[in-house]
Amino acid sequence: MLFKMRHCLILLALWALSLPLFAQEGEPIVFTPQWTAQAQFAGYYVAKEKGFYTEEGVRVLIVHPNATQSSMERIRSNKSHATTLQLAQALQMIDEGIPMVNLLQTSMNNALVIVSRRGKNPLKMPGAKVAIWQAGFTQLAECIMNETGLDYHWVKAASSVNLFIAGAVDASVAMSYNEYYRILQAGIPLEEEGVYRFSEHGYNVQEDGLYVTREYYRKHKDQVEAFARASRRGWEYAAEHPEEALSIVMDYVRRNNIATNPILQRLMLDEILRLQLDPDSGQREFRLREDMVRQASELMLRGGQINHPVTIEDLHP
Amino acid sequence: MKKIHLSALDLRRSLSRRLSLWIVLFAAAIFLAALVYVFVISRNAVRQEAIRGASRELDNTVLRVNGILEDVQIAADNLEWLIYKDLDNPDRMMEYSRNVVLNNPFLNGCSISFEPNYFPSKGRYFSAYSNRMDGVVYTQQEGNDQYQYFYLDWYLLPKLLGQPCWTEPYTDQEEGDDTMDSRMTVSYCKPLIGNDGSFVGALTLDISLEWLSQTISAVKPYPNSYSILVGRGGTFLVHPDPDKLFYQTVFTQQLVQQDQEMWQLGQDMLSWKEGMHFINLDGEPCFVFFEPMMTTGWSVAIVCSQEDIFGNFRRFQNVVIALVLGGLLLMFLVFSRLIGKMLEPLRRLATQTQVIASGKFDSKLPEVTRMDEIGLLTHSFGDMQNSLVTYVEELTATTAKKERIEGELQIARHIQMSMVPGTFPPFPSRTDIDLYASMSPAKEVGGDLYDYFIQAGKLHFCIGDVSGKGIPASLFMAVACNLFRLLSKQGLPPAEIARQINDNMSEGNDQLMFVTMFIGCLDLATGCLEFCNCGHNPPVLLDSAPHYMDCIPNTPIGVCAGWQYQGQVLENLRGITLLLYTDGLNEAENPVHEEFGNDRVLQELAARPFPDARTLVESLLAAVAAHVQDAAPSDDLTLLCLTLKS
Repeated sequence: MLFKMRHCLILLALWALSLPLFAQEGEPIVFTPQWTAQAQFAGYYVAKEKGFYTEEGVRVLIVHPNATQSSMERIRSNKSHATTLQLAQALQMIDEGIPMVNLLQTSMNNALVIVSRRGKNPLKMPGAKVAIWQAGFTQLAECIMNETGLDYHWVKAASSVNLFIAGAVDASVAMSYNEYYRILQAGIPLEEEGVYRFSEHGYNVQEDGLYVTREYYRKHKDQVEAFARASRRGWEYAAEHPEEALSIVMDYVRRNNIATNPILQRLMLDEILRLQLDPDSGQREFRLREDMVRQASELMLRGGQINHPVTIEDLHP
Repeated sequence: MKKIHLSALDLRRSLSRRLSLWIVLFAAAIFLAALVYVFVISRNAVRQEAIRGASRELDNTVLRVNGILEDVQIAADNLEWLIYKDLDNPDRMMEYSRNVVLNNPFLNGCSISFEPNYFPSKGRYFSAYSNRMDGVVYTQQEGNDQYQYFYLDWYLLPKLLGQPCWTEPYTDQEEGDDTMDSRMTVSYCKPLIGNDGSFVGALTLDISLEWLSQTISAVKPYPNSYSILVGRGGTFLVHPDPDKLFYQTVFTQQLVQQDQEMWQLGQDMLSWKEGMHFINLDGEPCFVFFEPMMTTGWSVAIVCSQEDIFGNFRRFQNVVIALVLGGLLLMFLVFSRLIGKMLEPLRRLATQTQVIASGKFDSKLPEVTRMDEIGLLTHSFGDMQNSLVTYVEELTATTAKKERIEGELQIARHIQMSMVPGTFPPFPSRTDIDLYASMSPAKEVGGDLYDYFIQAGKLHFCIGDVSGKGIPASLFMAVACNLFRLLSKQGLPPAEIARQINDNMSEGNDQLMFVTMFIGCLDLATGCLEFCNCGHNPPVLLDSAPHYMDCIPNTPIGVCAGWQYQGQVLENLRGITLLLYTDGLNEAENPVHEEFGNDRVLQELAARPFPDARTLVESLLAAVAAHVQDAAPSDDLTLLCLTLKS
């Protein structure tokens, strides 16, 4: 009897140990960030390269979007299982009937800015031609600027920066961690007067978060939660070791042949890490804030971006 | 050749080296000024030539590139009117797009793209696109939901600007493609305007950046120079560093580190300026020559390291400096040797002069046949040597003579001092007489005198001062002294003694010398003093208070023969101190010629009581010495103090 019990215990232990292996050998999570390789996704790269995903027993494939297939396309076509979304994008998708689950909220602040040429205050340019991304991320900007009554003539472009540099537009929407620095890098000095930061004018709505469809979440609950835990660990590691994180980011940049440089990526990483600090606690909290979700929902409802209010519960698992 | 040591001591000792050094330093200063001038002029010339050369290269490069770009623009212009002709026939657009790529080998592609739903029959997207791949031209309609061309630069720029323009280089990059620069494309875009004046689409002609990169990279005026092409946003479109090419701009480093020079260069390049900047690039000083490409708004630059431009010039400069330094050293050696040789007689003369100076006056000077300054100097030294020998001989004789005279004077001094009594106390057996005297001639022998002796209960004494000083005065004094002693011993009264001495000494006194005397005769029993003052300073009496004695002055002895001297009597001198002195006391001068003075004599005597005659005399002598200080004695000084005790 004792012999049998010992055998049972050994078998149980072997089964328990082999669980992560089995999980790894299963279907990998295909994760597609919403943009090409850059420091905006440093935490995920770090988690992958430092083996945090493996330690959590999940296999993650990072596949970036390209010109013909955006991250959303890949999610819709089930080619990818997880993606990063801005909060406003997530609300829009839920409103469209695609339930999304927020696994990890990385951004605690809004990075949207509007920069104008020649230092002119963007709020004093009604009817101005303003470049905005064709690829998305513009919901909040459009809602907010419509509310101000400035009635901008939005110019959707693949690259808002090039239009801005060429002088084809009066202003451009930019991310404080990306286009903002690329404009500076083009030798165009940006005076404070000409930079409108949404976060400083009562529109500090969270942005990037890690999402999967609710259906995928239901089917792979343990796996995606492990994926979220490891991703959070990746971000925390990146915050503590920015130089190492930058090095990992640059590896991804080179592999994906992205036209950028370490200086831009370092500035982007610093800004992304800054945006992850909760404006009240100053801590990296990795959570959705109900007030911000509510504000985003109300803004988008008024702006006609969504037809039904979306609450934080709709985003939670 | 003697080894040359250039220590400071050597330089101080060697006129030839010092002279050579001065000449070389002067020459060095002139050479330096000339070299600096030549180097500055040459450097500017090299710099100007570099600027001209770089400008030529830049001009040619820009011309070549612009030539191709203008061909693209002409092709677009030629195609444009065909498009307008068939603006309602989308299928012809495919044909035009294909033909223009086929007919213009420099074109990589052409797209004639229209606004959404412009051709209702074609749906939302219509972009007639032809591109050349491996020499084959493919034509297709490329717009679709995945490729929404409306949002791309080459479509938006002409639409928003409303005029033809060039895009920044871009790439339609596929995954896994790692040859970014080979796929870089730049497009010339023209807006297509419909009949109603609205924007209907864009005509875009593409060329590869590869040939442009090759054309510009080939510009290499110096071995280590390189060319760069900068886009409107400052992006390096051509750069030898793959980490910078397409990935960085002129301003990238400025994001983390302010570099005013680099910033200004970037701004000037992006402002379509032409010029040259001298800046540090990665720690190396470089000249950056730049010129705008007005067609596209880009800027071409040639970067030349300073070493490349000025390397040969610097090597030439170093050779010249080395030659000049070598020449100056040679000059120093030659001059040092030459001048040394010329100054050799002077050196021999100096050596010989040192021998002469050591006392060998008859030492022979070196023979010289030169007629120059050195010859003249040697002759002058010879003359000086002869004069010196003569002088030394005369000096030797004179010195011997003087020594002999001095010896005689010393003897005369002894004789003179022995003529006056010098033993004190003079009368040890007489306790009632306190007498002390002192005589200090101004020279070896003097003209002062004093004497005293006791005869028949009377103390005969005198003090005198002969006019003038030295030997004549001493002889005159000796005569006066002898006459006093001779006549006093005859018991004559002082006035008579004075008269007879006067008569004797006036006779044959061709030198008109004279002597003042005070002659006294003190009756030791009664204390009665008979005296005769012959033109001498009145003595001082110290009774209740010191005061000068009332004396009939008479005339000095030797002045007027037959003079009747009047004697005087002081009834009782007992208990009263009598001080006789010569004018060496009251007329003693200090260094500023102030006399001791009669009043001072009385003050010194009144200052305190004196226990005896000796103390009094020595005190007065000390007071006089303190007054005179280190001044030479102006006159003989004699004091005689006498007290007949009660």
